[in-house]
Amino acid sequence: MGIKSFSRARAIHIMLVYTGGCNGCDIEIVNTVLSPRFDAEQYKVFLTWNPREADVLVVTGPVTHLNRKPLEAIYEAIPDPKLVVAAGSCALMGGVYKNIHGDIPSEEIEGPVENIIPVAAKVPGCAVRPQDVLAGVVSLLPTLLDAD
Amino acid sequence: MEEKVPRSNIIETEIPLGTVHPAALEPYRVRLFVEDEIVQEAEITIGVNHRGIERIMEGLPVEKANSLTEKICGICSNSHIWNSCRTAEMGLGIEIPERALYIRVIMGELERLHSHFLYLAHGCETVAHETFSMRVFYLREIVMELLAMIGGNRVQYGCSVLGGVRPRCDLDEAKLQRLKEDMDKLEAGLTDFAQRFMADSILISRVTGVGALPAKQAIRLAVTGPSLRATGVARDLRTTMFEYDDFDFNVITQPDGDVKSNLLMRALESFESIKIIRQAIANIPEGKVVNRDWEMFDTDINESYIEVPRGTLYHSYALESGRVRHCIIRTPSMANIGAMQYACIGDHVTDAQLCIVQCDPCFTCTDRAIEIIRR
Repeated sequence: MGIKSFSRARAIHIMLVYTGGCNGCDIEIVNTVLSPRFDAEQYKVFLTWNPREADVLVVTGPVTHLNRKPLEAIYEAIPDPKLVVAAGSCALMGGVYKNIHGDIPSEEIEGPVENIIPVAAKVPGCAVRPQDVLAGVVSLLPTLLDAD
Repeated sequence: MEEKVPRSNIIETEIPLGTVHPAALEPYRVRLFVEDEIVQEAEITIGVNHRGIERIMEGLPVEKANSLTEKICGICSNSHIWNSCRTAEMGLGIEIPERALYIRVIMGELERLHSHFLYLAHGCETVAHETFSMRVFYLREIVMELLAMIGGNRVQYGCSVLGGVRPRCDLDEAKLQRLKEDMDKLEAGLTDFAQRFMADSILISRVTGVGALPAKQAIRLAVTGPSLRATGVARDLRTTMFEYDDFDFNVITQPDGDVKSNLLMRALESFESIKIIRQAIANIPEGKVVNRDWEMFDTDINESYIEVPRGTLYHSYALESGRVRHCIIRTPSMANIGAMQYACIGDHVTDAQLCIVQCDPCFTCTDRAIEIIRR
């Protein structure tokens, strides 16, 4: 383990981007990292709102038309190495908003997130459970730490 | 005629925030027009979250459409499915068992508790008081686990169905007992929080007088829900809903309409919710929880209004051979946008986010009644 990985392992920063879901996953993820019950900060995982500081980008929601460009811009702003977690069934496959018509997908939705930026881990659930989010982020840590 | 001040003499800056911004959980756009760091005009633009859910609901079978309304909002999901079922039930004249009504009220009040706790936590975090925020988040977790116990999921519980509640959500003795014990725990925690909040002179001086909204202006802007009650107007739709006929509760008001009034208002209203849940546990009638004995027929447009954590929620649709037609949903945050814009005016630019948060915005709910023009 190099000195970079050593120090990075002590401050993993998560950035949450919300692209038009129902707010459920969003609050659960904030709850995961911040609230004293789950408290991801004890594993040295912190929530940040600054893309230049972030290591892991957590995306929730199906990507609506107007959210596509901000999402791409945020992904570009994160320094390497960066990894993306898609959380919730909307981010994985568009959720009820995209697929309710059967074979004809809804035209309001650009998602899933995979169509726009590369996704490293997928967390299913509607809404995601805090334990699953933690597991998803933790599963990415080896990749992140071995990156250089 | 007044002499016009030359445009160049006014130092006005426009500060745009959004659409994705650190202080705001949801994507929306605010334009603040600032003169000497005092906000002169604020403009909120929504539409980023548009998913076209009313369009998706058109033509779906009514049961499916009901469960889809739950996905409008992750905070007040139960309110949406409750009101959507209520709309069809009123149109079709379905009789709902007493026990189901009580369980719906319990779920509604639990949801009000978790929404208000989220508001308190978010509000305390916006004024950068993390300790209080953590305390409320911890209390909120008790409510979330109760919701998970009753509905089986932490966010989307799907409690109401046409004619009652899902049999999974029936409350047996053990669940009622746990509900009762947790209400005591919650009340103790909330009392502790409210006392500490009131005793913290630094926090009180930080939030007093910020984002004041006069009662007259609030009525003119058609503000609903706790944001209206925090300005001193005692209007609560729960007093007129037949579900709440058996319950005894007070309509809480606060005098000023500023951030302090809003925060206290939510804390005090949570005590009333605990009171309602206790009455429901004590008096819950025996019997079945769902009435499957009804017939589907075509109806004209049915409407239903209920009081949800943020204000008045309106659903309306017509039924045609079991399918939903002409669906309109109006959420409380739509009415409260005016209050958010007004509250920012005259305050320091650093308080603008606090002024918006004090009206408890939920733009996820609101982004439906718009048309996106694509170029």
